[in-house]
This record gives sequence, structure tokens and C-alpha cells, in this order.
Amino acid sequence: MGNKQTIFTDEQLDAYQDCTFFTRKEILRLHGRYHELAPHLVPMDYTNEPDVKLPLALIVNMPELKENPFRNRIVESFSEDGEGNLSFNDFVDMFSVLSEMAPRELKAIYAFKIYDFNTDNFICKEDLEKTLNKLTREELTSEEVNLVCEKAIEEADLDGDSKLSFADFENMISRAPDFLSTFHLRI
Amino acid sequence: MATRGSGNFMRLVSDDSNASTLTEDFGNHQEELPSTLPGEQEQLPSTLPGEQEQLPSALPGEQEQLPSTLPGEQEQLPSALSGEQEQLPSTLPGEQEQLPSTLPGEQEQLPSALPGCHRGLEEELYFSRKWDPNLPLKNLPLSMQEKRKTREQRQQSRHIIDCCESWRRSQQHMRKRLREQVARVIWGLQPWSKTMHKIEGKFGVGVKSYFTFLRYLIYLNLLHCLFIGGLALAPALLFRDKNKPSGLTANESRGALDLLLGTGFVEHSPVFYGFYTPVSIPHGGLCLNTPLLFLAGMAAVLMLSAVMELRRTVIGYKHTWLLGNRYNLHMCYKVFCGWDFCIQDPNSARLKHRLIRNDIRLELQEESFHQRVSQRTFRQRLQLYFLRGILNFLVLTLLAGSFSLIYFATHISNKEKEGWILPLLYEYLPSISITVVNVLLPHLFRRIAAFEDYSLTWQVNITLVRSIFLKLATLGMFLLFLHQKDLTFVKTNQPPEPPAKLNSSKNCWENEFGKEMYKLVVFDFLAGGLNAVLLEYPRKLLVEKYPSCSLVKAIGKQSFLIPFHVLDLVYSQTVTWVGLFYSPLLVHISVIKLLLVFYIKKFVLFHCCVPAQRSFRGSQSSVLFHFTLLLGLLIAVVTLSFNVTMRTSSQDCGPFVNYSSIFNMTSSCVGTLPSPVQRTIHYFTSEAFALPLILAEIVVLTSFVSQGRANRKAIERLKEMLIMCSADKRYLVKKHSAWLRTLKSSVSAGTCEDARPTALKDPSGFQPLLLRSVSTP
Repeated sequence: MGNKQTIFTDEQLDAYQDCTFFTRKEILRLHGRYHELAPHLVPMDYTNEPDVKLPLALIVNMPELKENPFRNRIVESFSEDGEGNLSFNDFVDMFSVLSEMAPRELKAIYAFKIYDFNTDNFICKEDLEKTLNKLTREELTSEEVNLVCEKAIEEADLDGDSKLSFADFENMISRAPDFLSTFHLRI
Repeated sequence: MATRGSGNFMRLVSDDSNASTLTEDFGNHQEELPSTLPGEQEQLPSTLPGEQEQLPSALPGEQEQLPSTLPGEQEQLPSALSGEQEQLPSTLPGEQEQLPSTLPGEQEQLPSALPGCHRGLEEELYFSRKWDPNLPLKNLPLSMQEKRKTREQRQQSRHIIDCCESWRRSQQHMRKRLREQVARVIWGLQPWSKTMHKIEGKFGVGVKSYFTFLRYLIYLNLLHCLFIGGLALAPALLFRDKNKPSGLTANESRGALDLLLGTGFVEHSPVFYGFYTPVSIPHGGLCLNTPLLFLAGMAAVLMLSAVMELRRTVIGYKHTWLLGNRYNLHMCYKVFCGWDFCIQDPNSARLKHRLIRNDIRLELQEESFHQRVSQRTFRQRLQLYFLRGILNFLVLTLLAGSFSLIYFATHISNKEKEGWILPLLYEYLPSISITVVNVLLPHLFRRIAAFEDYSLTWQVNITLVRSIFLKLATLGMFLLFLHQKDLTFVKTNQPPEPPAKLNSSKNCWENEFGKEMYKLVVFDFLAGGLNAVLLEYPRKLLVEKYPSCSLVKAIGKQSFLIPFHVLDLVYSQTVTWVGLFYSPLLVHISVIKLLLVFYIKKFVLFHCCVPAQRSFRGSQSSVLFHFTLLLGLLIAVVTLSFNVTMRTSSQDCGPFVNYSSIFNMTSSCVGTLPSPVQRTIHYFTSEAFALPLILAEIVVLTSFVSQGRANRKAIERLKEMLIMCSADKRYLVKKHSAWLRTLKSSVSAGTCEDARPTALKDPSGFQPLLLRSVSTP
């Protein structure tokens, strides 16, 4: 395409374009953002796929994530090691899934991961309580929290095991009218 | 061990529950579940040879025959016992060949699914679901590395196909990318998208939905402008008889007053009906003349609006009401879809937290309210109904009062003629009274609803319903009174205005009607502007300059009341539709008006309003708003058809002067068409067509309704089945683990050594008895 950029090979950019919802320009811009998080760690030349991971603390300070109550969980869900250390691949992946163009099914999978705090592949009552506390900055009384969690589980649990499996969650989310419009990040 | 009982088992277990089985029990249970398809169970400890025994859910007491008791696999148990890293087959490396047998279609082989990897959920889902192999890579729930490897695999497999096929695929690929880019560009071109984004961030989704609705109305009106401009305005301007006197005398034009009243030069301009004259277009034949084009333009506009509104209402209804109320997932939505991930500003974040908290509290309050309602005593209920009856009566008296006010205003307007401010006031009296009524009464209704002891959402709904009724009814009443006034004029043949006002339109009732609608639109806009300048802005200044004054604190800053603003928009659009036929340029005026309203409201919002304390359920109410718009359109159509059929068009003005009624003109046009076409048209407009059509519609409607009912019953049954299946599953797991434990303990105790060889040796149905004794606690 005649770009003079030397950050990625054309082959890499093609691969990124196929695997994410971003265009070439956006991927280069993402790399710029990734680089400015830690200029001394992130090389400008990615043609030989360096193995660089940025820690959680740097990523959650990005303006897009700073005010999000689930920022830690988001970053952890997209990291390979579950601790929140993102390589550039994971970084791009994260913003791709959270972009406006990702389909509902894909977002539902990652939303489930994010809300599953103890990573047992179920959203149990404790997970819900933690979600609620993060949402309301712990300003609800514990009785209210309890009521809300019970009600939510009662509404969404289809198979009667008092916790939400992925099937329950997806069934519930597929009917949520606001899910796609709220569950996206703009970068 | 034939497939005895496998039929029964399959009754309980379907393919879908297989999938959920595999995903749900990852890591949670110490034991692995029997993978439940016959013929596929090499995996599990449940090491099943291949079929299931009877597990009728109705007979829980008879499940001695656990799958794991089947002979031939006992030796595998110790392997399952040691190293209890129970994982589902899908995540064990090298064993992915199992699952693909359960899934149709090809599967991508995941190169390195490491157990314990934290992307485990996606991989599990990836393998347990039936992912379409042609699904674009972006949509796959895998990490980037895996996606790239999959991509390489796909590309390699692509090399094997011949070059034609690969060229076709790459073309498809490029076309898809091009389409995506074009769609993205078009989406980005929508006007005001940045403004809307800012509004959403600061004030919430509800306020944004108001502005989206406003933008939608602007598009609608622009579309109307196109139709009217092309079909009514252009032919009138092009083919006008230039020699005809314009009828304008010098002493009549009063400048700005004309603009406000619709008299003088405005009256003789294309704005009003009187401008359009019947002219046949040269070379057009009998059918192509301006009246017909005029009629076609109006009809097209109304039909287009009807179609668009119906579509929006129906889509919204399907999504929100039909599913929402039936399944009532409100609390879940608040918890899981409550946070807007786009928020970056700390103030907005704080506001959002507060909104969510208030929302949740509201929801809990409604729960407790429902409980309280069910506990009401008979006497309390009686008192409540009495109170509600009185309040409804109050509402009705308020409505009746407003109607009588409008009646008087309609009848005493046009009385004063001297000076300029008094006639202006009198002419605008109906509009003023309608606007005053429309502004004051909804607030009164809101206060009244607070006394009626409904739940909070019901209060909002009932206020909304009453306000909608108020707005549409006042407009309807006004039209009725106008019609009555004109009738009295026609009957007594006394012009309502003194003969000093020589105007060729004195005999032109259409122009008068158009003028009334024009005045309504103009005043609506003026009221909005004045409200912003004289009320909102000073209020904000007061609050900011004297924050300590108690009166000021009581008033406070305005919060943007979405339902009332939306109803204003609906009202103005209804007026536009009603007046369209008699004042064709009303759509153009209303486009300009809506544009100005957008900027005025934006100014009021950003500078004078505080964000609301309660969030507004935008998605549900948008259905209500579109439905109200549809009602307004209905009123417009009814009024128009009444006027067209019942009243004769005046002989002095308008495009239909030569015909006693509009239908005469259309019939003379139809008469020129070839005879088969004529016969079909006559058939379509006759009763012989209408009756079978109605019957067919009834039959179709009944079939849809009964299908809907059957589907609902099926849903209930399926839900029960789901609960039953998972209860079965849990029972199985418990039984299985109990059995494993006893086996473990007996293995360690060394007592059951001889039992196992016996089991191995004798593969006949003797096991059950033996194991029954083992497994019984």
C-alpha cells in the first residue's frame, strides 16, 4: 500500500486485519498507544515479534479504562497468564473484542469471563456480590446487595443450580437491549 | 450390553445439553461426568463402554446402574483416581479428536491448548460449540496467537484447492472488506454523532434517545420535503400561469406580521393551498396534471410515514415488550449491562455510579411495593379505589376545562382587527391556549399520580398515557371546533371577519385551515425559544448567583424531562401532518424548526440542566413514542379523509377547483387508462374485494396468534425440561462420586480386590447385584 511504516511487516498487518476488527491505520495507532504506555519497554520495531508484556498497573491507567470499575478484570481476562500482563497481541485482542463491530456472541463470552471473579466458569453469588459492589462503589447496604444477588440469580438461572453458567448468561444477555451499546470501548 | 435403555436416556438428553454438560462442570466437580452420547465415551472415568443405562428422571430411586459400573473399563478407574486434575476432555492436549465426533463439520485443531491456561473458557466454548468453519477469524473467541495459527492453517488448506477457487475466495474477502469500510464511512457521516456521544456520556442514554428521536424526525421531514418539492411544488412553479394576477394589493402587506399570521405575501406564496392551480402539463395527456401530482405527493408522504413508523414500532415492540415483560430480567440487565464502558470522565463516572445505585434501589422498592400491594386489606383497597376515582374525575374535569378554553379561544379569534398587537394576540389565541394547556397539565398530572399509590414506573407510565391523551385530544378538539366554526360560516353565509378585509381567500376555507396549522407550528417554535431564553437561562443564573437563598434552593436547576420533550416533538409532527395537505410547505418550515430546536435544546441541556437522579428506561419508552407518533399520523389521516370526502373544495382556490370532489378528478384520470387496468382498479375499490380481504386477514391473524400461544407453551415446557436435565445430571454426579469414594476406600482398605476380578470375569448382567451391595451405604 505504499506505507513507509517499519513497525510491522505487511504480512503481520494483514494477519492483524483478518484477526481483529481493526484496519491497518487503527492497528498502527494502537501500537502507538501501546508504545506510549511504556516507551522504554516497547520496541518500535515489531517485525520479529518481540516478547514484551506490559503489567496490569500500566494498562489500567489508560484513560479509556481508568474510570471503569471492572478494569482489573477486563485486563486479566485478556492476558495469557491471568495476571493482567498484556502483550501487544492481547492488547489488540482486547480492544477488538470491545470495539463496536464485535458481534454479540463474542462479547457475551468475554463479558462472562470478566464478571466471573473466581474464574470457576460460573457466576456464583460471590461473583455477583463483587460485581455489584464495584458497580455501586459499595454504597448499598449488605441486605440490599443480598436481595439484588438473589433476585438476579433467580431471574437468570435456568437450570436451577443457583449460579449462572455460561448458557444461562448468554441466554440472558442475548435479550438485553442495551448490552451492545454499553459493552464497548472506543479507542 | 446392548443398547438397552439408550433410547430412554436419549429422551432426556439432547445434543444441546451435551454441550452445556461439557462447559459447565469444568474444574468444579472432582469427578468427570459421563459424556453422554452413546458410542463416544472413551474419555471419562465414567469410562463408559458406549451406552447409558436407564436414568429415568421420574424414578430417582432406581439408579443403581451407574454407567461406570459397566464392565470392561474397571481397570481404567485407578488412572482416574490418581492425579485428580479433572479436566474436561476438551482441554486435554491430544484428545481433541473426541469432541469433533460429536460435532458436525470440520474443526480447527487447536495447536496448544494447555491445561490450566487462563483462556480456558474460550477454548472450551470453541470446541464444544458448533463453530462454522467459514466464520471470519475476528469472530472467534480465541487469543491472538491462536487466531493467527488458525489463519495459517486456513491459508495452507487454501493452497491445496485449485487457483480458481482461491481467487474466488480472495475476491470475496476483498469485497467483504470493502463493504465493511463503506458501511463504516456512511455510519461516521451521520450528523451530530460526536454531539450525541458527548450527551450520552454526560447525561445518559435516555437523553440521547430524545436527540436520536429528534434526528429521526428531521430525516423523516427531509424525505417529505423531497416528495412535496418534486411532486407538488416543482410542477406548480414550472407550469404556473404567469398571467394570472397574484391578488396581492399594496396596502395588505404588513411585513413581519404577515410572516406570523400567514397573511399578505405569505398567503399568496406556495406556502398555502391557494397558490396551487390546476394546470395540465403539456404532452402529459389527461392524467398528468398538477392536481394529480399534488395528490400523489401527499399520499406518498403519508404512506411513507405510516410504513416507517409501523416498522419502528413493531421492531421495538418485539424486542422490548414481548420478551422483556415475559421474562422480566430487569435486575440482571441492571447488574450486567448497567455500566457504560465508554465513560472516561470522572464526573460522569460518579454520576453513573449514583444512577445505577438509585436504579437498583428503585427496583428493590418496586419489589417491596408489590409485596405490600398483595398484603392490602379489603378496607384499604376500597379507600384506595375511592381516592383513585376522585383523582381520575379531577383529571377529567381538567381535560374538560382545557377543551372549553380552546373552544372559546377558537371562537373569539379573528374578532379584533385594529392595531397590530391586539389582532396578533387574538389570532394566536387558540395556539396560545393549546400550548399553555399542554405545558401545565402534564405537570399537574405528575403531581396527581403521586397520590394514587402506584409503583414508581406505573406512575411514570400513567402520567405519560394521560399526557399523550391530552395532547392528541386537544388537537383533535381544536380541529373539530375549527370545522364547526367553518360550518356555521357556511350555513349562515356570514363571513366571520368584517367585510373590510378584502381577501380572495375569504371563500377559501382550505387556506384558513392551513393558516391555523401554520400558526400552531410557528407558535410552538416561538414558545420553545422563549421558554429557553426567558425561563431556563434566568433560572440557571439565579441558581448560580444566589445559591444560598432558600427559594432558589427549592426551585433548583431543571433536569431534562425526557417524556415531556418527546411528546412535544410528537405533537409538532402531528400538526405538520394534519396541515400538510393545506399548507404544503409546512414540512420545509418544520425541518428548519426542528434544526433550530435541536440547537436550542442542546444549549438548554448543556448550560441549564443537571443530570437526572433516576435513569430513564429508554428502550421501552421508545416503543411508546413511536406508537404515539403513529396515533398522531392516524389523526392526521382521519382529519384529511374527512375533509376530502365530506367537504366540497372551494371554487376559488386550490388545485381542485374544476372538480366537485377529488375523486372526480381521479376517476377522470382512471378513465383514460386501458380497459383491463380500469377493470382491475374498479375491482380493487369495490366491496367484492374488500370482504374476502378482511376474511383472509382474520384467518392469517388467527393463525399467528395461535402459533404464538403454542410457542409460549413450548418455551415453558422446555424450561422445565432443562431444570429436570440438570437435576438429573447433579444426581448422577453425586451418585458417581459416592460410588468412587466407596471404591477408593475399599481399594485402600484392600477389601475389594476380589470383587474387581469377579466383575471383570463376568461381563453378564450379574454386576448390578454385586455393586448394589457395594454402593449401598
